[in-house]
Amino acid sequence: MISGLRKRVLAVVVLASVVGAGCAPAADEGIELSIATFGEFGYSSLLKEYEAAHPGIRIQNRVADFETHHKGIATQLAAGRGAADIVAIEEQYMPQFRQSADKFVDLNDFGAANLRDRWPRWKWEQGLANSSGTVMGLGTDMGGLAMCFRKDYFAQAGLPTERAAVAALWPTWEDYAKIGDLFSGKVPSAKFADSAGGVYTAILNQSPENFFSAKDDSFIADRNPALRRAFTIAGQIGAKGQTARVTPFTQPWNVAIKQGSFATIACPAWMLTQIQEAGGPENAGKWDVAAVPGGGGNNGGSFLTMPTQSKHQREAYDLAKWLTEPAQEVRLFTESNILPSEPAAYGAPEVLGKTDPYFSGAPIGRIYAASADSLKPNYRGLKDAKVRPTFGTALGRVESGKQALDAAWDQAVTEARAAAS
Amino acid sequence: MVMPFFALFALFGLFPMLYTLWVSLHDWQLINGDEGFVGLDNYFALFGDAKFYNALGNTLTLLLLATMPQIVLALGIAALLDRPLRAKTFWRSAVLLPNVVSVAAVALVFGQLFGRDFGVINWLLGLVGVPPLDWHAQGWSAQAAIALIVVWRWAGYNALLYLAAMQSVPAELYEAAELDGASRLRQFYSVTLPSIRPTILFTVVVSAIGGMQLFVEPQLFDTNGVAGIGGDDRQFQTIVMYLYEKGFGQFDAGYAAAIAWVVFLVCAVLAAACVVVARRIPGRV
Repeated sequence: MISGLRKRVLAVVVLASVVGAGCAPAADEGIELSIATFGEFGYSSLLKEYEAAHPGIRIQNRVADFETHHKGIATQLAAGRGAADIVAIEEQYMPQFRQSADKFVDLNDFGAANLRDRWPRWKWEQGLANSSGTVMGLGTDMGGLAMCFRKDYFAQAGLPTERAAVAALWPTWEDYAKIGDLFSGKVPSAKFADSAGGVYTAILNQSPENFFSAKDDSFIADRNPALRRAFTIAGQIGAKGQTARVTPFTQPWNVAIKQGSFATIACPAWMLTQIQEAGGPENAGKWDVAAVPGGGGNNGGSFLTMPTQSKHQREAYDLAKWLTEPAQEVRLFTESNILPSEPAAYGAPEVLGKTDPYFSGAPIGRIYAASADSLKPNYRGLKDAKVRPTFGTALGRVESGKQALDAAWDQAVTEARAAAS
Repeated sequence: MVMPFFALFALFGLFPMLYTLWVSLHDWQLINGDEGFVGLDNYFALFGDAKFYNALGNTLTLLLLATMPQIVLALGIAALLDRPLRAKTFWRSAVLLPNVVSVAAVALVFGQLFGRDFGVINWLLGLVGVPPLDWHAQGWSAQAAIALIVVWRWAGYNALLYLAAMQSVPAELYEAAELDGASRLRQFYSVTLPSIRPTILFTVVVSAIGGMQLFVEPQLFDTNGVAGIGGDDRQFQTIVMYLYEKGFGQFDAGYAAAIAWVVFLVCAVLAAACVVVARRIPGRV
């Protein structure tokens, strides 16, 4: 039986030691960084390596699907908390978030200007918040563009199956549409293309401007011949019923790949892994990769940004800087088919020499990286997000036979003009 | 002792409503915040917006398609559960099971069941020789499918509410009716329904309000998920989906707040209308 006084002394001693133990010196003790990405960035092994090299830093890797991730960022920025320390933003969402650039850290504060030469000029400029050089994000990858095709269906349709011969079939998109006519009807279980939208996006991304002028951000959708051409070619393929009518990355798309519902799909580098996962081992060796009509293009590419909410900005910047180093970008390509956006990376021999066994040993390094130097950026206006969907849904109506091509075009232009005003 | 209720209502009910009204009177961007007072401009723009009326029309048809079968089915299930049954608790829990499952999961699964190329429903239709239907493409088929989801989820819940009310109907009324020679069906119409009229009133109003706010089921029924706008032609876009598109897709929070207040007013009118209609069910004398 401890006496009353002794009990109190004991209590004070226990309390003091607990409090004392909790107040260990700060230093690098247990900083937790969080990084939010979408889809497949290939960061899991890289992050573990970084943690091992930096004791005291733990990294939480948050991955969501594309739409949920970006809508989540909007909510977190509006609420003022909940955002990760590093947030990946895809290029199509950059114009929208650029309007809230004050909620992101200007990475110049941490010396990002020194990193400028890592990237081609257009990629660097896409990551800027405004014309005065505020750095909003560090570039991660590029999409690149190629045409993935099913060798077995091409053989069935009497078309060549060797990569170079296939690429020679379609130097332009008009030729691609003609091959579609040749293909259709010869293979009963498969359509020629995945969707009109996929073809449309590929053609559109090959032109420097879509809905808004790069010079003054004025609305040009109604008189841009490149846009009209993309809409017409894709719309006609869709109206003729030559597509499987599945939107990429939805569940029906996954099933369509597994069941082999379509023979071609315009695929950026990052889509290869998704095709592989959706197709499963039974479809290995049936796909191959050829050059895309129009000679190269880009679809996608992201940036690592830092919301001002972050409590560990210096450490987060160091991590982002490391993740976007050329050495890491080379690894991401060799491990996960994430196409580097830095010349030092995509010119590296490991990248250029990479082949993919799932895609019949296609030399994807050469196919994607080799055209990277000549890539031209595609300008997205500030109001891109309001206008782009009107044309996408118009194309969908043409594809499902609900509206004729010209009527759909007129409706899209009218709605887009209203949305942009 | 009712003070806590008023405090909670003020905090979670009144304040959000008034704040939303305040937001709707401004050009308010989701992330950038308040960008200037614009008075009723958002409302005037809304009343001239064809997409809003489209969404309103879709919501009302969905409401009718979903609410009416739900109530009738629930009454039927409750009448069956009211009989002396073996394993009563099992049956009562079983009808509640659809309501317990996460609504997002339900919507996703039903969206796939109604898939165009590989959905189970089309496969079943194929077994009886009907060509596959693109459920998402037309307004009527998409709304029928979504109504099915809602009926599946809520019929059991409403049935249990009716069951509770039915259990408190005095047995003498039934005995008297039986003595007068009434069949089971006639007893149901003349004794049961009038006795549980307050409960029916309640469920009709709540279902109508819930139907007006339908969001998760149609949004996740769209193959594009949270990026969807209710199909290519907005054929099954409801008002709350349009609110979500404007507020969280295009970051126009002021416009979305205006939609929210208009929905509130329409719900109030609808609830009043439902009360008037349901009062026509003969009550207990």
